[in-house]
Amino acid sequence: MVSLLNSIDTGHEDMIHDAEVDYYGLRLATCSSDNSVKVYDIKNGASTLLDDLKGHFGPVWQIAWSHPKFGNLLASCSYDRKVIIWKEQQRKWLKYYEYANHDSSVNSVQFAPSELGLILACGSSDGSISILTYNPETNNWDAKKIQNAHAIGCNAVSWATAITPIGNGETDLQSPPVKRLVSGGCDNLVKIWREDGDRWVEESKLEVHSDWVRDVAWAPSVGLHRYTIASCSQDRRVVIWTSNDCINWNSNVLHTFDDVVWNVSWSLNGNILAVSGGDNKITLWDQNTEGVWQCISDVAKGQGQINNQ
Amino acid sequence: MSSTTWKSEYYIALECKDLQANAMAVDATGTYVLLAGRRYLAIKNLEDPELVQKFPRQSKYDVGAAEWNPTAYHKELCVISSNQRLEVLTWRQDELIQTHSLRAHTRVITDLNWHKFDSNILASCSVDTFIHLWDLRDSRRPILSLSAIAEASQVKWNRKSPHLLATAHEGDIKIWDQRKGTAPVQYIAAHLAKIHGLDWSPTSENHICSSSHDSTVKFFDMTNPRRAEYVLTTNAPVWRARHTPFGNGLITAVVPQLRRGENSLLLWNTANRATPMHTFIGHRDVVLEFEWRKQKSGDTDFQLVTWSKDQTLLVWRIEPFIQKLCGYEPVESKDSSDIIEATESLKLYGKSSPKVQPLQQEFSLLNVHIPNLKVRKMDPVARNVLVKATINNFTVNLKVSFPSAYPHGVPPGFEVIKEDSNVSDSIVVQLLQMLKHLAQQRVSKNRTCLEPCLRQMVTTLEQLSSDLESNRFDRQYIEPSSIFGGYNDAYIPFPRTSGAKFCSVGILVCFGRPIHPRKLSSKLDSTPRALTTTPRALSALENIFAKRNDDYMTVSAYYFQRQRSRAKHVSSKSSKAVVHIYDAQALFFFNRQLAEEYILDGDVGTICKHNAAAAAVVGRRDLVQAWTLAELVAGTQQADEGISWANHPFGNKLMESLISHYASQYDLQMAAMLCCIFGKYQEALARKSSVKSFFLPGQLVPGKRLLKSGSPYHTIPPADVIADGWVIPILRTARSTSLDNLRLEAPVELSMLKAPASNSLYEYYKVAYAETLHRWGLIYSRTEVLKYMCHNPESHTGVEFLCDCKNCSRPVKHTSCPACRQPTLRCAVCDISVRGAANACVLCGHGGHTACLRWWFAFQEVCVTGCGCKCLVGTASMFQP
Repeated sequence: MVSLLNSIDTGHEDMIHDAEVDYYGLRLATCSSDNSVKVYDIKNGASTLLDDLKGHFGPVWQIAWSHPKFGNLLASCSYDRKVIIWKEQQRKWLKYYEYANHDSSVNSVQFAPSELGLILACGSSDGSISILTYNPETNNWDAKKIQNAHAIGCNAVSWATAITPIGNGETDLQSPPVKRLVSGGCDNLVKIWREDGDRWVEESKLEVHSDWVRDVAWAPSVGLHRYTIASCSQDRRVVIWTSNDCINWNSNVLHTFDDVVWNVSWSLNGNILAVSGGDNKITLWDQNTEGVWQCISDVAKGQGQINNQ
Repeated sequence: MSSTTWKSEYYIALECKDLQANAMAVDATGTYVLLAGRRYLAIKNLEDPELVQKFPRQSKYDVGAAEWNPTAYHKELCVISSNQRLEVLTWRQDELIQTHSLRAHTRVITDLNWHKFDSNILASCSVDTFIHLWDLRDSRRPILSLSAIAEASQVKWNRKSPHLLATAHEGDIKIWDQRKGTAPVQYIAAHLAKIHGLDWSPTSENHICSSSHDSTVKFFDMTNPRRAEYVLTTNAPVWRARHTPFGNGLITAVVPQLRRGENSLLLWNTANRATPMHTFIGHRDVVLEFEWRKQKSGDTDFQLVTWSKDQTLLVWRIEPFIQKLCGYEPVESKDSSDIIEATESLKLYGKSSPKVQPLQQEFSLLNVHIPNLKVRKMDPVARNVLVKATINNFTVNLKVSFPSAYPHGVPPGFEVIKEDSNVSDSIVVQLLQMLKHLAQQRVSKNRTCLEPCLRQMVTTLEQLSSDLESNRFDRQYIEPSSIFGGYNDAYIPFPRTSGAKFCSVGILVCFGRPIHPRKLSSKLDSTPRALTTTPRALSALENIFAKRNDDYMTVSAYYFQRQRSRAKHVSSKSSKAVVHIYDAQALFFFNRQLAEEYILDGDVGTICKHNAAAAAVVGRRDLVQAWTLAELVAGTQQADEGISWANHPFGNKLMESLISHYASQYDLQMAAMLCCIFGKYQEALARKSSVKSFFLPGQLVPGKRLLKSGSPYHTIPPADVIADGWVIPILRTARSTSLDNLRLEAPVELSMLKAPASNSLYEYYKVAYAETLHRWGLIYSRTEVLKYMCHNPESHTGVEFLCDCKNCSRPVKHTSCPACRQPTLRCAVCDISVRGAANACVLCGHGGHTACLRWWFAFQEVCVTGCGCKCLVGTASMFQP
C-alpha cells in the first residue's frame, strides 16, 4: 500500500528532529541538533541539497512550510529561544524575520491555514504561545502572546482548519473564519484557544493525559460535521478528541504504546493518523466502518520495510 | 555541602537540601547570611567557605520575612516574622539567641523593615491592616500603629528621610510620616494588579518604585503621585525590584509561585528600559530572595547574594563592565574609597587588606569559560589555583602556586596531582614542560600567565588525547557547545528523534534513529521526558560524552552511549540522518490520474460519460457505476420532458445519497465531482423555478449559456455570475442601473432542493478537492472546480440610499417603486427621473444625475433646490474622520 519514493541522506551531523515536505510535495526541509536546517529538492525522486540554513545557535526542534501564496517561507524554532522565518529569494534562503521574545526553548511552530493570512504560532518552554501575524501593509510581523498558556511549558501547537462544515446551515465559507488552535504542554493538558477580538481566550481544557503532552494535531475534518484532534503524550497514549461545538469534547484512547509517543500527524483528508515515538516505529491508523481505530501498517524505519497487517 | 569553587560570575556559597529556608538576609557587614525556614535557622559566614551553623527551630509556622539590622551599632540583631509574631534574634559568639518577641498583630505578618538610621526602630505590616512601629527598648507594645483599612503586603522605610515609610496595599502605595500617624501623607494608585515589592530610591528622598503582578515596575515621584515617572515592562510578573547600590541599575525577580521556565534575575538600567542589561543565569529554580553584600573597601566588584528554591546560596560578582552598563563609572583609584569603612572592616576581620593585590586582580579577570576545564579553587591568600581538565577520558588535576614575587620575572609553580589524574607519566612530563616554558616567556616580560597557560594545557591535552583515541573510538557526533548550559532544561521536552508527517497529498515523510542503537531492553525502559532528567544519571555510565563542565548532553550521546555499553564499536556512519519519503496515496481514494482525466466542462451527460470511461481505465468500477447513475439522473429529461429524473424526487435523493456515501468513505474526489455536476444541474433548476421568464421551463441549461442571455451592460466577471448560480439579484443588478448597484441586498431565498446545511458541506468538498488539485499542480482542473463554488455577495455595511416613492411614500431601494412601477429618484437639476449614474447629498438628500450635479456644482456651492445646504462642503466634512 505504501511505497518508498525516496531516501535522502541529509548529511546532518546529529539527530534529525523534524522533516517536512512543502505544499506541492517538491521540497523537503529537515532540522537537526547540529543547529542547521537543510532544504532539499525532491522533485521526481531527486535529492539535491538546495541550501543549508545556519542561524540558530542551538538544536532546531521543528520546522514549518507556509502556504505558497505567501512565497516560499520556512519557519524554524530552536533551543536557542528563537524563531526564524526564512524566505527564498533568487534561489537563496535568507533570514526574513527573527523572533526572540521567548524566555526558553521554542518547541513548536506551525503556520495557520492560508485562509487566515500569514500567521505563525509558536509554543515555548517558557509556558507561552506566540502568534505572529504578518501585516502586509506595514510589512511587519505583529506578535501577540498567550502568557502562561501551559504552566511549566508548551510542547506543541496546531491550528484548526479554517473552514469546517458545521451543520445548521450557516455557511462557513463566507463568514470570517474563526482562528482557533490547540496546544499541549507539560501540565498534561490539551487546551483549545480561540481569538476573540484582539485577545486569545481559552475555550476548553482537555484533561486525560497523565504525563506531559508531546504533540497535538487538529484533523482536517473533511466530510464530517465535527472537530477532531489527536494528542499524544509521555504517558505512552494517543487520544482522539471529538467535538461538535468545540466546547464539549469526547476522548477516546487510540492505543497505549510501548514507549513515549512524540508525533501525531493527520493525512490531508483526515482519515489516517501517523503515530511515532520513542520506540523508533511508525504506525498508521484509520477508523473502520464501525468507527473503531485500527492499525493498518507499520513502517519500521531505517529498514524501509512495511508490514501490512 | 558547600564549596567555594569559582565557576563563572558566581560561586556556590552554600548548597543545603534540608534547610528548606524561604527567607534570607545579609547582614550589614556583608559577612553573615541568615537563612530561615520552618525547621531551621542557619547562619552562613561568607568569609569562610566551610562555616555554616544551623539552629533547629521548633515552630509550625514558616518564616515570612527576615532582615538584619542595617546599622553598624546593632549589626548583630536580626528579626524574623513567624505568623503573627516578630522574633528579634541576637547573633553573638556563634550563638543565635532570641532577645525579643514582639506581639501585636492579629493576623499573619507580611513584611518587616528596620529603620535605616535608628537602630532600635522596626516596622512591620500584616494582613490585619495595621502597620506597627516598634522600639526595641520597649518591646511590650508598638510605639505607633498606623491603620490602613486594607491589608498591607510591604513596608519600607525611606532610605534618606528618617520619618517616611511606604506601604503597599494591593495595587496602591501609601506613604506615611511617623510624626503624623493618623493618615497617610501620600496615596499613589500605582497598579491595577497586586504590588509585590516596594523599593525606595537609594539616592532620592522622593522616589520610589513598585513591582507588580502586571509585569511592570513603576517609578514614582512622591510629590507627583498622579502618574508614574516611567514604567519598566518585563515579560513576567515581578516579585521584587530593587535598586543597585551603583548607577541607576535595578534588579528584578519573577514571582516565585509561578515557577516558569525562566527564573533568572534580570539587571536593568532604569535609564534604558527596553531590554535587561544582564541576566543572572545559574540557579536551577526560582530565586526566593536576593540582597546586596556590603562592598568591601578596595573592591571594584559589587556582590549580590541570592537564595533560590533549589536550596543553593550563590554569590555573584558584578564586575565593572556590568556596572558601566548601568551608568556607573567605577572608581578607578582605590585610595579614594571610603576610609572609615575600610578601617572598620579591618578592625573587624583583621585579614582583608585594603590594598588590591595583582594576583587577586588576575583571578578576577580570569575567564573561567575555558572548554573542558573547571577551576575548582582560586585562593588569592594562599596564592594558589586548582584546576581540573577533562578531555575525552583524560582527567588532569593541576595545582598552580604563585610565589610572592610573581609575575615580576618569577614563574608560578605547576604540579599535577597524581591521585586525581589518570594520565601517564609521559604525558605529565610533556605538560609540565610546556607550561613552564610558556610561563617563563610571559613573566620575563612581567606579564601574568595563568590564563594562557590553562588554555595551552587544554589544547595540548586535546591533541594528545585525539592521537591516542582516534584508533579506539570514532566519534560520530559533534557535541554542541555548552553556551546554553544555564538554561533550565528540566522543563524542555526530550527531543524527538523519530517522526512521521503527512505532507502535501499522500506523502509520508519519516525519519528516525539508525536501527542499531538502543534497543528497548525492557518495557520499563521508557524514553525520558525532559532534556536533563536522564543524561545526568547516564553520565555516570561513561564519561566519553559527559560534558566538559555541564550537565547538558547531546541527544545522540544518550542513545549512542547505551549502545556502546553493549556493543564495542559503532558499525557504520552511513545511515545516521536519513529521511525516507513514502508515497501513501494508495491509502487514499484521491487519484491523480483521475484528476487529470476528469472533465467538468460541457453538457452534463457528456461529462458523466467521459468520466465514467476515465474511471474504468483506472479500474474503479464503483465509480463507473456512480457516473452512469449520475448521467441517468441528469440526462433523461432530454428524452422525456414530462417526467424527468431531475424533477423526480428520487433523482435528488439518489444524488444526495451518492455524495454522502463517497464523503463518508473520505473519497472527496468523487464527492466533490458529483457536487459540481449536481450543483450545475440544480442551479439551472433553481433558476428555472424562480425566474420563469428567463428560460423555457424544463430545459436544463448549463451555467455558461446563461451569460449569453444576460445583459451586455453587466460589469461582473462571468465566472462569478456562473458560480453565483442561485443568487438571482446579482443577475438582475447586472441589467439595471447604477443606482441599483449601490444598493446591495441579502440574497433572495430560493426554494432549494436541498437542505442548506448539506449545501455548505458540498461547498466544502469542492474547496477541499480544489486544494488537493492545487497541491498536485493541476491548476486548470482546480479552476474548473472552483467555478462551481457558490458565493454570497458581501453584506453591505455603510451608507445606503433609499428613496421615498412619490406615489405611495414607501421607502424604495430600487430605481423604481416595485408597487407603483414609477421611477423613484428625480433629478433635482433637470427634473427627469434618474436612470444611470446618480449622486445625492448626504446632508439634505437632494441629488440627481451625476452629469447634472457636476454641471451645477461647477459654479455653485449651495444645493440646487434652494434648501440652503452647502452640499459639497457638508458631504466632504462628513466623511472626514
